[in-house]
Amino acid sequence: MQITATITQQPEIARTPPASQLTTGALDGEARELSGSHILCEALVREGVELLYGYPGGAIMPFYDALTSYPALHHVLVRHEQGAAHAADGYARATGKVGVCVATSGPGATNLVTGLATAYMDSTPIVAITGQVARPFIGRDAFQETDVLGVTQPITKHNFLVPRVEDLADIVHEAFQLARSGRPGPVLIDVPKDVQFSKTLYHPSTPPGYVRVKPAQEPSPSAIAGAAQLIAAAQRPLIMSGHGVILSKAFDELLAFAEKANIPVITTLLGLSAFPETHPLAIGMPGMHGPAHVNQAIGIADLVIGVGLRFDDRVTGKVSEFAPRARIIHIDIDPSEMHKVKPAAVPIVADAKAALNALVEAIEPGDHRAWINEIRDWEAEDNARIAAIPRDTTSPDPISIVEAIHAETQGEAIIVTDVGQHQMWTARHYTWTRPNSHITSGGLGTMGFSLPAAMGVKMGMPDTPVWVVAGDGGIQMNIQELATLKQEGLSIKVAIMNNGYLGMVRQWQQFFHSRNYSETPISGPDYVQLAAAYGLKGIRVTKREEVAEAVHQAMEEEGTVIIDFVIESEANVYPMVAPGSAITNMIEETEENAGHD
Amino acid sequence: MTDQAAPTERAGQSNAQQGSERSHTLVVFADDQQGALDRIVGVLRRRRARLQSFAFGRSEQPGVVRITVVMNDSEVGVEQLVEQLRKIVNVRHIINLSSELVVARELALIKVNGAASHFNEISELGHLFGAHVVDVAQDTVTLEVTGSEEKVEKLVGLLQDYGIREVARTGSIAMTRGPI
Repeated sequence: MQITATITQQPEIARTPPASQLTTGALDGEARELSGSHILCEALVREGVELLYGYPGGAIMPFYDALTSYPALHHVLVRHEQGAAHAADGYARATGKVGVCVATSGPGATNLVTGLATAYMDSTPIVAITGQVARPFIGRDAFQETDVLGVTQPITKHNFLVPRVEDLADIVHEAFQLARSGRPGPVLIDVPKDVQFSKTLYHPSTPPGYVRVKPAQEPSPSAIAGAAQLIAAAQRPLIMSGHGVILSKAFDELLAFAEKANIPVITTLLGLSAFPETHPLAIGMPGMHGPAHVNQAIGIADLVIGVGLRFDDRVTGKVSEFAPRARIIHIDIDPSEMHKVKPAAVPIVADAKAALNALVEAIEPGDHRAWINEIRDWEAEDNARIAAIPRDTTSPDPISIVEAIHAETQGEAIIVTDVGQHQMWTARHYTWTRPNSHITSGGLGTMGFSLPAAMGVKMGMPDTPVWVVAGDGGIQMNIQELATLKQEGLSIKVAIMNNGYLGMVRQWQQFFHSRNYSETPISGPDYVQLAAAYGLKGIRVTKREEVAEAVHQAMEEEGTVIIDFVIESEANVYPMVAPGSAITNMIEETEENAGHD
Repeated sequence: MTDQAAPTERAGQSNAQQGSERSHTLVVFADDQQGALDRIVGVLRRRRARLQSFAFGRSEQPGVVRITVVMNDSEVGVEQLVEQLRKIVNVRHIINLSSELVVARELALIKVNGAASHFNEISELGHLFGAHVVDVAQDTVTLEVTGSEEKVEKLVGLLQDYGIREVARTGSIAMTRGPI
């Protein structure tokens, strides 16, 4: 303990750049005998980790014992391990750095599973550290033993069971490099309790470069030339930008490419905020809940340039009828995405930023004003039709809530959504202008994601206002994290769109199951009293005219505020494409079904 | 294995022509580490690969295992699978031998009902296939045969007449002809 106390008094090692750049440090050259748990902490500090989300328990106790000697590592005690994984995920999405979560063996580790799967589907870099029973007990059904390697194998980019304390530091550094390299993803390190106790000589020298960390490919010149030819020949081209643009921070490159080529930009759910929606080339979100004009445009486009996306089924609908007239240029860092769903005429395996840069160089300035006007005309027509539908204006309308948040924060907030109707309303009706301001569980669709994820977002971006928009179903799934928010003194504004239903499922039941509302009505607590019970401020809003004022009040209040917006109980998300249908075949809002709006 | 996994529609198969499946041989080089095999098998399972055989053993490099996978699938299905397997951190590299000139062999042990009256017949039949008698008991004869999958298949077929007690097959292992 004496030794480590001396080590951790060196503040300059607390905020260090990624491992590959760690060439100098107070500890260089001085090998010391340390326990596994101290080595784990040392390695985390050297990776530049500032925040850990976790929950202690038997098999991870040696690590927690060492943790108090490392003030540079701020540990946040969540109230459920699922919250830890989502918080690490939120932190990673907002900052681009690797998020870290910690849990004990058995139930602690299995509680991380949903969070790991969420991060895996959306390609976000997190490192999960789990305690494991001591090596002599592994495989013998010891207390709180789970085969975590087996359980998490299909939902992690890689996972490790640390075989010996001598391997621990290298494994931690390799885990971080794997998590953040190429297509990012979650990596898990399972550390047996006796490895945490064992001691070995720790060499705080530069960690080796890992051959297994494969660098991203440079875009092939022939592919770029081929793409440029297709772009030059296209009459009705579209850019579809996905999460890859955000992960690669290719915002400027996307803008430059779209402007030079004069091609309209579609952003997928996870691509929202990759391109400013106030830009004349921004046309919206595709797929199941995309506005009609976007899906119509895809239906007749002759070229689709997919950037950092994987043609998810919620985007494509029936694949054979998705972009049926278009050739595809597909840019992705992951070669296994090529031709997976849509065969690409030109596959470009590269980081989005590098590929877009190369394309900007390779193309001639384009002019697609006629095509853009065509799309804008459809949009105007559709908007006029929808505006003419008479509707109830007394209750807080979901769209007015989203717009009020946007107006109050002037688009400068980061919005974290949960999963369901509110997610789609927010995606569609918020005007995304700030890069990387939209955070949601897109691939896995994990209810309960928003509240803990927002905690990670806020801690990564403390100067930015953070709003949660959630449904009354999802918010109850990780509601316990309100205690963590209070404990950490975090200021997050939570808007609950409370319709007393699992609204999206109810909407599907309405459309596809003859309004058989099986197990979708759901009750909840009195959120104002609940907030008070957690020592937080709660506001209830039942009238349309109170919406803006409540949002304003929430921003004025210190600390976390919950607003319970009691919305129309059977409001629907329009338009909607039935699962498995062509995306041009939409269920549109009409005067008839607006009765439920 | 093949019969059980008979999916009709799979991801990544939408652009494959019906009936375009054929046998493909992949050689996967992987770290000889805990979990490596799990991950490879996991991807094969998730992709619902139509496995015909899977043979695992050491390679010429220390710490690297060589796995030969034979499957029946469409070209696009296999190409996509190869890319997914390449993403496994433990996978060093993969060779798709499907369109190469290769030597492919498997070894089989076949235990046949071989009452004394049939011993010579069985033994002679075996010899035609280059098989050796490796065990003789009161009423059984065990043959060892090495060769292509088809050859083993054929011998097993011919021995059916005598009654087969047991067949153990290693699955195919393969390498390219020539220097590399």
